Amino acid sequence: MKYDRIEIGDKIGMTTIIDEKFKSSLLTVRFIIPLDKKSTSDNAIGFSILSDANSQHKTIAELSEVLSELYGSSISSFTRKRGDLQILGITSSWLSNRYAIYGEDIQGGMLKIFSDCLFSPNAADGAFDDELFTIEQKELFDRIEAELNSKRSYAFARAAAVAFRDEPAANYSYGTRETAEASTAASAYAAYRHILETAVIEASYVSADPDPKIEEMLRKGFAAVERHPLPVQFISRSPLKPEPETVSEDFDVRQCKMVLTLKTPSEDIYAMKLLSIILGETATSKLFRNVREKLSLCYYCSCSVSMTKGTLIIDSGVERSNIEKAKAEILAQLDEACRGEITDEEINSALLYTDNALCQIGDTMSSYSGWYFERLCDGEVLTPQEIFSRYSSVTRERLTEAAKSLKLDSVYLMLDKEAK
Amino acid sequence: MKEILSSSHTGDSCIHVKHKSGLDIYIAEMNGFSSIEAIFGTKYGSVNTMFRNRDDKEYTVVPEGIAHFLEHKLFENEDCEVFELYAKTGASGNAYTSFDKTCYTFSCSKNYQENLKILLDFVQKPFFTQESVDKELGIIGQEIQMTNDNPEWRVMFNMLGCMYHAHPVRIDIAGTQESIAQITPELLYKCYDSFYNLNNMVLSIAGNVKADEVLAICDEYLRPCEDKGLEMVFPEEPDNIVKREIREKENVGASIFNLGWKCRPASGMDRLKKNIAAAMAGEFLTDVSSEMYQKMLMEGIINSTFAYEVFSGDGFFSLIISGESEESDSIRENVIREVKRFISEGIPEKDFRRFQKGMYAGLVRELNNVEMVATVMSGAHMDGLSPFDTIDRLAELTPQDVLDFMSSELSDDKLVLSVIERMAE
Repeated sequence: MKYDRIEIGDKIGMTTIIDEKFKSSLLTVRFIIPLDKKSTSDNAIGFSILSDANSQHKTIAELSEVLSELYGSSISSFTRKRGDLQILGITSSWLSNRYAIYGEDIQGGMLKIFSDCLFSPNAADGAFDDELFTIEQKELFDRIEAELNSKRSYAFARAAAVAFRDEPAANYSYGTRETAEASTAASAYAAYRHILETAVIEASYVSADPDPKIEEMLRKGFAAVERHPLPVQFISRSPLKPEPETVSEDFDVRQCKMVLTLKTPSEDIYAMKLLSIILGETATSKLFRNVREKLSLCYYCSCSVSMTKGTLIIDSGVERSNIEKAKAEILAQLDEACRGEITDEEINSALLYTDNALCQIGDTMSSYSGWYFERLCDGEVLTPQEIFSRYSSVTRERLTEAAKSLKLDSVYLMLDKEAK
Repeated sequence: MKEILSSSHTGDSCIHVKHKSGLDIYIAEMNGFSSIEAIFGTKYGSVNTMFRNRDDKEYTVVPEGIAHFLEHKLFENEDCEVFELYAKTGASGNAYTSFDKTCYTFSCSKNYQENLKILLDFVQKPFFTQESVDKELGIIGQEIQMTNDNPEWRVMFNMLGCMYHAHPVRIDIAGTQESIAQITPELLYKCYDSFYNLNNMVLSIAGNVKADEVLAICDEYLRPCEDKGLEMVFPEEPDNIVKREIREKENVGASIFNLGWKCRPASGMDRLKKNIAAAMAGEFLTDVSSEMYQKMLMEGIINSTFAYEVFSGDGFFSLIISGESEESDSIRENVIREVKRFISEGIPEKDFRRFQKGMYAGLVRELNNVEMVATVMSGAHMDGLSPFDTIDRLAELTPQDVLDFMSSELSDDKLVLSVIERMAE
């Protein structure tokens, strides 16, 4: 594998990873901006339109037909939240030319499409094409309405809204029905242009095939943009509430959900992540073994850590009658960790799990791309092996300190109506 | 017996061994990859509720959900939990039960030989007691509750219930609270002894492995099995559907639908050919660049979730179109009209070729992913095929095959619409 990163403009980075085992290529450009509730929908709609069509292939139908001619190549856009930041992007994947049955230049065709989508969308007079805008605005309405279809992720999002109230991270990365309704073809286009000009930008190309034309294409495209990037803050810890807050909502569900948000001022990222694995990320974790297996209190009970907000979130699917018991047992397991009751076996097993997971990062293009992007956000580009050595140096004392630093901030409960 | 199987289209290859124990073993050594994915699977899923071995006088009928229950229980050894063993190596162990298979897996990048020993050992060592069965009822009961809250799951099973009169594919993989309450250790042992015979199983391992090392471990850990002549029986299933439509109101944000044709089942190579023809029909019916798609998109009837799936196994076969929509009746009308149009006007050669290229690229990409290679090898074996058959058969597919599939299988009287409707606010 060959890794390289260069600056190709003001706050525009480009990472290239060449690994000959891959049979296809992945090109992603990410745009990082502060998450502002008012503009999230404009941003999301604008970026969705980018991957629908462009100035050469003006409709979804036209672009789709060309992509399927190029061996089902894909181009799509995304928006997600990272702490108090909104990350938007456009990503494309295509089969390597060496697998083209009839000798087509798939790579060349996709570079042209990518460039047109990103820098030359179907827009005129300061607004996106009306038809494309209408389609994508409706897609966003549908996406917002469909949030409730997945109960677990809905509960997770509601828990974030409670835990991060009045902070940008309380919002969805694509806005609300109101912000989506307020969006217009002109405001979405203005948002797209604003992002091109002000975002911190990271491009990533993963492939078996080195291709200088990627850098050329990006340099040329961004050269036509008047850049004045805004600063972004990757870490924005959320303040702890004076007293833990519980919010419950009733739904027609069969299984209740409980999401506990704990907050920490700790900056020991490696100890906190390792603690999270020991506590609830594997099938031998404290929560899995005790809350699910030993006490049969829930089907799942797992945790995840976000150092960007300084939180550890524990979510579970639980029957209403078991909610208090499950909560007590979860907090009891955390108490164990606070008292230093973490065995050598638990630490070793978390390290082995981490080592295995880190070694697998180079096996898919998307994990390569995501890994190096996340390291840039962390402010330090390290290889998986270098990161592992930092995990290895975590001591029981650091784990105990990390556990002690966690305080319960809020509890979100999705309750079943009928059982009342 | 050892053979090397390879694809003339991509140059990929794997090793197939018919082990003396009775087990079929597939190994793909993938240069440059760090991870290892292993699958130890049995041709035993939720639809196998009635069976007998050659020496049995009577058929055994078991409660719904028992294959999935057995999968959970196999993770408990007599002396420890399997996950504790994997914790000592760092592997991620898991398992899943589908309609027609149960698979035990691990994923790792280190200590694969130790992990393989754990996998082979625990799957061959059942230990069921009444106490452990009773304990599992609570956890699986929770799982059933959780899947009942999943509208995608419900819309599909509602559709299958309207499609199939008697075939057990209509029943939830995990069973019901009532059916799993009938499970006993004795029944679990009966199922285990019948289906977890190595002659009915497959080991598939891909990634950063060496075939010789894998086979040496297999020699040491596999316990030879006598082929007991397992016979599976399915209830008589008529060709017609039960009813053409089902609607249910749920607490969802967006209404969703499944629109599926009940097609005649097939097996082995016939099923593979039918799967490919059905997938190509699905490509045509959900083609973003088609007039039908564009019309429905502009009218706001569909969104980008509009997609197809080919769903097939022992005794069942369906082409399903799904998505979010508040106007599923209109989608049904449009799709019926589109099928009739293709049948009367034929399959356009140009569109056929571009879909064929896209499907080919998808298969090439699968062979570039460790997890997918292991899945493809085990899945193909359980279907009585070679791992590279799909890519070969795709190259042979013609527009006429797709037309024949549409004409013979996509008739209106075999079409079921299942909808989960949003409750009024």
